[in-house]
Amino acid sequence: MTLAKAAAIVGVSPGTLGRWVRDGLIPQYLDEWTPAALGQARLVVRMRERGYTVAQIKAATADGRLAFGPLTELFATGERTYSARQAASAADLDAAIVVRLAGVLGLRPEDGFSEDDIQLFQYIAAVLDAGMPVDATLQLARVYLNAMSQVADAEVRLVHLFVHEPLMRSGGTSEEMAQELLLLAGGTLPLASPLFDRLHQRMLAQFIEQDVIGHMETEVGADQVDIGRMRVAIAFADLTGYTRLTEEEGELAALDIVEKFTESVLVTLPDDARVIKTIGDEVMVIGGDPVALTEWAVGFQQLHNEPPLPRIAVHYGYALYRDGDYYGREVNLASRVAARSAGGEVLVTRPIVEAVGHDLAFEHLADIRLKGFAEATELFTARPAPE
Amino acid sequence: MMSEDPEVGPKLREADVPQRYEFPDVGLVVNLHPGGEGEQNVAWVWSDEVAWEPQVRLTMGVDTANRYFQGKENVAIAIARRKIKAGGDVKAALVVIPLLKPVFEHYRRMVVAEYPHLEV
Repeated sequence: MTLAKAAAIVGVSPGTLGRWVRDGLIPQYLDEWTPAALGQARLVVRMRERGYTVAQIKAATADGRLAFGPLTELFATGERTYSARQAASAADLDAAIVVRLAGVLGLRPEDGFSEDDIQLFQYIAAVLDAGMPVDATLQLARVYLNAMSQVADAEVRLVHLFVHEPLMRSGGTSEEMAQELLLLAGGTLPLASPLFDRLHQRMLAQFIEQDVIGHMETEVGADQVDIGRMRVAIAFADLTGYTRLTEEEGELAALDIVEKFTESVLVTLPDDARVIKTIGDEVMVIGGDPVALTEWAVGFQQLHNEPPLPRIAVHYGYALYRDGDYYGREVNLASRVAARSAGGEVLVTRPIVEAVGHDLAFEHLADIRLKGFAEATELFTARPAPE
Repeated sequence: MMSEDPEVGPKLREADVPQRYEFPDVGLVVNLHPGGEGEQNVAWVWSDEVAWEPQVRLTMGVDTANRYFQGKENVAIAIARRKIKAGGDVKAALVVIPLLKPVFEHYRRMVVAEYPHLEV
């Protein structure tokens, strides 16, 4: 490939690209415009656009800080030459749906679509053809994107912390680091799809089983509500004194305690319950069975007899399921109840007391007007029933 | 079963949590202790005549134990229902619980093959 052609691909003049080579900004160029050299050149363009000087880029290149950059070439998506109407035609989709999908997937129709984007739309068209409603498909696309975004973020951060930074500290050359990272990416990327596939199928089997059990225990037509709204048991759990613990023990020690706490929630939860999200030391759990989730909370507390003690709230009500998360008044209420609980305590609401019955001991604590709620909420403590 | 399992045995040894299980309805007690250098991964003694102090003590009926080792008994729920009583450093039980999960499949296979009437 000639310098002129490489310059055209990268989007700068041949003179500029030649100067960058002479200045040592593109160490991957060894008399040949390889994908790695082109990747580095594109990276230099992006750095220049962000305002970095040639001297700054040269220094960062020399000490290996940019060694990760050329890897982006492995994920080149091709030119965006298709309009929304053309993409819709190629994927056999309505143009309006393509525009909505693009919004969900973080694509901008005004930038055009690539062959890869069209392939993506074709997969989604097949999902719609198979009978999945448009709204559910859009929510699924959003969940996939969020999940994959979290995975990619973790991959990049962990490689940065555990591979790239140690390489930089070891004093290797920029080319050696780039080579090492390319080898790592080349060796691990092909494993990603089969790995995700296996994990996805395993988790699908687990959740389908839970859904089937849920259907067995729910009468069709009972409690008929809006689509997306379902009655669930909601638990919030966190550790008391976590902020003070962080101050006293340091961030790493506190993080270690939180990781063990989250892990202990995961390994003890009933089969039909799952962690929806974690925010710092707080864990949000949703389950189909209010009895099992409340019993779990009470038993979980018995497994903690030294600080930092967990505090847990459990509530039962209708929540709106959207994009893999649960929203609505009842979720907010459960969160507010959790804020009222003390270490070692399980606080529950009236719907939980009525669902559980006499399997546990409940004590009426107070009727409290929770923040943001007009009416008072009855709060109860839950404990194992007397022997 | 636990000690020889290539996945579970070394992890139980590494976890280093001596455990005491009591099955009062049949009058049995078993003490587990991580093996030392050159010994099996987990030492079992079916009595309290042991030279170590258990870190975790779990008491349960044999029906509950049978369900638990087939992966059908949730420990936290069983504790809430008083089907399992936990004592000692109960937090350490949380370290052991996930380690034992691979044993369940072995136990289930054994029950199906040799004691089908115990399958749950």
